[in-house]
Amino acid sequence: MDRLTRYLYTVASIVTLLALWYAGGVTLPEVVPGLPETYTALVVVLTTPGPYDHMFYFHVWKTIQMLFASLIVSMIAGTLLGVALGRSETLESTLATWVYAWLAIPSLVIVFVSAIWIGFDASSGYFAIPLVITPFVGLNMWEGARNLDDDLAEMAEFFGAGRVQTFTDIIIPQLAPFLFASFRSALSIGWKITLLVEAFLLTRGVGFMFRRYFDQYDLPTMMSWLIIFVVFLIVVEYGVLAPLHERVMEWRPDAEGVRVTE
Amino acid sequence: MTAAEEATVASENGDESGETLELRNIVKTFQKPGQGQILVLDEVDLDVEAGAFISLLGPSGCGKTTLMNVVSGLIEPDGGTMRRGGRDVSPDDLSLGYIFQEPRLLNWKTVAGNIEFALEARDVPEAEWDERIERYLEMVNLADEGDNYPTRLSGGMKQRVAIARALATEPEIMLMDEPFSSLDEITARDLRQELLDIWNREEKTILFVTHDINEAVFLSDYIYMMNTDGEMFARRDIDIDRPRQYDDPDIAQREAELYKEFHEQVVD
Ligand SMILES: Nc1ncnc2c1ncn2[C@@H]1O[C@H](COP(=O)(O)OP(=O)(O)OP(=O)(O)O)[C@@H](O)[C@H]1O
Ligand SMILES: [Mg+2]
Repeated sequence: MDRLTRYLYTVASIVTLLALWYAGGVTLPEVVPGLPETYTALVVVLTTPGPYDHMFYFHVWKTIQMLFASLIVSMIAGTLLGVALGRSETLESTLATWVYAWLAIPSLVIVFVSAIWIGFDASSGYFAIPLVITPFVGLNMWEGARNLDDDLAEMAEFFGAGRVQTFTDIIIPQLAPFLFASFRSALSIGWKITLLVEAFLLTRGVGFMFRRYFDQYDLPTMMSWLIIFVVFLIVVEYGVLAPLHERVMEWRPDAEGVRVTE
Repeated sequence: MTAAEEATVASENGDESGETLELRNIVKTFQKPGQGQILVLDEVDLDVEAGAFISLLGPSGCGKTTLMNVVSGLIEPDGGTMRRGGRDVSPDDLSLGYIFQEPRLLNWKTVAGNIEFALEARDVPEAEWDERIERYLEMVNLADEGDNYPTRLSGGMKQRVAIARALATEPEIMLMDEPFSSLDEITARDLRQELLDIWNREEKTILFVTHDINEAVFLSDYIYMMNTDGEMFARRDIDIDRPRQYDDPDIAQREAELYKEFHEQVVD
């Protein structure tokens, strides 16, 4: 499919969704917030000072801060965990069960327990969110570390490559696809947990806005906040992750670049 | 000065290139799940004469790669010695290049980047990199591919990059583990010819593993033969004038003789 066709399909899907939404809002006004009402609410959210005299970007910024700080922590902790599991059989047999147990703990439980332990402030968020996403990152990186190519390691050893060179030139490039996959799943899980934390424990952020307008039964405004954050996540994907991924994976054979096949 | 005297002087100076590398009684066992200990190298002897083209011939699984890994230092043998010029040597003392059974290139680095990887690992001064990359890529006829990625090269081209990578570290002895066995015969013949040219010109010593008797006879000065019990059961010289031709009846005859010897080993 060429660029233009793909672009057209994207536009068509957006138009269809908006049409369905509009129809839904007209036929089921109790359930679906109307499209025009949502648009008006979105404009209000975007242009007027919000609660506590803050514009919408204060809340978005707070959510982003908590989300990305947690992502950084989880990516580091999860990568270390996953690589340790993938490279050491002893650790794998000792820890594997516990990693699965950790994954099985509902995020809501982690959030509530954090609140009891730490209190109703941002610190519980910074504690709970990494705790929820780290095992997902770990699971991904575990798979990646298990698939590291021993032949390449042997080649590096033969030529006498040091630790740093082996790490940057051999290990990291093989883990790169897994790092991207981990980050994407961590981002999508992390944002849901961040919202949960903000809605239940805090008084700022996008999650808190949901809670606030939920209390007022204001569906169009809740919808506006959802749209703002979903747009942000799409921008992150298409503006940052996808181009970066493409750059890092530049060496992969593409249809035209291939000269001869094996 | 006689050649013998020269050799003595050379070894007194600690320069043992020009001397034969002698492996004696090399033993290696592996632990295999379900099969217990298996003896892969059973007191193997091997002489690597300086400047010679030596082939190691044997059926699949007989321990050829294992022996190469012992020479290269990638695995530690359970027993045996490596000597040169009358003294014990370890793989670290040798100047070695290794062309593995697979190209083992870094797909995320360009062809030139792959060679740089080896040069950096070997602590070659950065000022020499460009010159060496150019020189050795040209030697394997890949002068224009320096900026290309390995994923966009054919199997034969990848193997050439692996050869250039090994050559670029300017080793004295090249270990080559079935480098052409996954290639079609037409490509393999071209590469064999190129390899012989390089061997001649650069005065390398080559230890070449293969399970193809014809290839071994065509390339080698002498051939070691291994059986599946991990024994090196024979050393045979190939006294056929170079340059050799594939359709030379002498080659066909020598090949038939060696095949017969192998066959008798299996029947016994
Ligand atoms: N790391 C290892 N652990 C256990 N067994 C091994 C290991 N490496 C090799 N072996 C065993 O040693 C034997 C010899 O292996 P090797 O790779 O040296 O064979 P080869 O002669 O190179 O065969 P091929 O021609 O198929 O490459 C085989 O039975 C193999 O299964
Ligand atoms: Mg082998």
